Amino acid sequence: MAIAAEKGGRETLATTFVLDGDVHLNEPPGELAEYAEAPWDVGLREIAKASGLYLALPGMAPRAEYRVPWPGGQNRSQVVTNAADMRRELDELHVDVAVLYPDNLLMLPMVRDPRFALALARAYNAWLCERWLSAEPTLRGALVACPQRPEESAEDIRRHAGHPGVCCIYLPACGLKPLYGHRQYEPIWKAATETGLPVAIHSVEAVFPAFPFQLECFETSLAQHALAHPLSMIANLVSLLETGVPMRWPEIRWGFMEAGVGWVPWIANRLDKEYLERRREVPHLKERPSHYIRQFFYGTQPIEEPLARGDIVKVFELFDGERTAVFASDWPHHDFDHPQHVFGLPFSPDARRAILGGNGARFYGIEIPAKYRAAA
Amino acid sequence: MAEVRQRHRVGLAADLPPGRHTIVRAGNRELGIFNIAGTLHALPNLCPHQRGPLCAGSTSGTLVDGDTTGWKLTWSHEGEIITCPWHGLEFHVPTGQCMAWPEIRLRTYDVSVVDGEIEVAL
Repeated sequence: MAIAAEKGGRETLATTFVLDGDVHLNEPPGELAEYAEAPWDVGLREIAKASGLYLALPGMAPRAEYRVPWPGGQNRSQVVTNAADMRRELDELHVDVAVLYPDNLLMLPMVRDPRFALALARAYNAWLCERWLSAEPTLRGALVACPQRPEESAEDIRRHAGHPGVCCIYLPACGLKPLYGHRQYEPIWKAATETGLPVAIHSVEAVFPAFPFQLECFETSLAQHALAHPLSMIANLVSLLETGVPMRWPEIRWGFMEAGVGWVPWIANRLDKEYLERRREVPHLKERPSHYIRQFFYGTQPIEEPLARGDIVKVFELFDGERTAVFASDWPHHDFDHPQHVFGLPFSPDARRAILGGNGARFYGIEIPAKYRAAA
Repeated sequence: MAEVRQRHRVGLAADLPPGRHTIVRAGNRELGIFNIAGTLHALPNLCPHQRGPLCAGSTSGTLVDGDTTGWKLTWSHEGEIITCPWHGLEFHVPTGQCMAWPEIRLRTYDVSVVDGEIEVAL
């Protein structure tokens, strides 16, 4: 798709449509309490009084690890708590439209009481629609699915799917058990199909006794964080393919967020090799696994930064990423990517526009604003 | 041929006690000026990673380990490390050396005090 550059001028980030496929709002428990059903509103008000560590609020975002707080380090705020602040900060990044994901609810699958998990998901979705999506039309939202209670969660997704700001169903993957290929999640796939919403799997780093989060065998967050995100994506992608979910629900668009992209060609080639020998186990696959993997969408962040800059373009070519990669900044988190960085990579102009905006627009079903569409 | 460098006055030395750093504009550049134990240092306020505002970060020491410490984890370089607020890349202020990437050393600038004012040479 051609996008108009400024008259006679060269293309810059400012003249490029930037759809940011993954930014994070912070959901304070005290605000969720206002939207939570009884008696969980009472519990959330208690949680609001506790001084939890970042992304580790008691009960709401359990995190079985604690890092030594050495002096110094990154000193900027990594939370955004209202739509106006988010819009202002995204303006500084030259982001036109962004899709919101949560902070604490990244760890929703680790919440042990399924009743509380469902109450959190419902409260979050209602709060997201009212406080964020209704406030700012360029902020779009992903409804959180509650893996502990798929049937009721599917109902909740249907309840909010008609909100004009809703563009996705977010599948939390941190500490998830069973993986998303399991039959128990069928109600969510049904809701996704009926509402036309794409689904995006998003994980986060944690140490938890569920595959592939048994990361206690590592000693540093360098090791745990490096592995938690991509292993979670790989595990769920393989799970979905082995049980045939994307084949049984062919209208669903699938997205894999916040794990970079380097793992995609690796698992595609690995599965293709397995498939030639073990096709009998997975006869629902009519093509090589890589055929389906090329139909999924992949958030770019944290984009790999090989020493030879051009190497990243080769990685994208290996999985057709110029057609399926969705720019994501992960703002305001510690390892966010500035769109200027992705803009400056040696992609072709068409690929650059697609990755920064066009692919995300197709995945999320978001219209590209008129000012960026080329005059016929 | 001697290089002619322009000198810019960027503030009062009294406003920058030891342990503090500040961001100033000199010509068309933004610099961080650091007072480390009474010695002034200047670095560009631009991280070579994703162009973040490096000197808006905080200074501290950092952890080192290797043959210089007998392979013992050691808190070192107290007050000499600036951490980029965007992604946490660390630099040694007096030398401009990036702690993570050996091939990256930031330009440093001559900085002195003249008549109570901080003067930096570009």
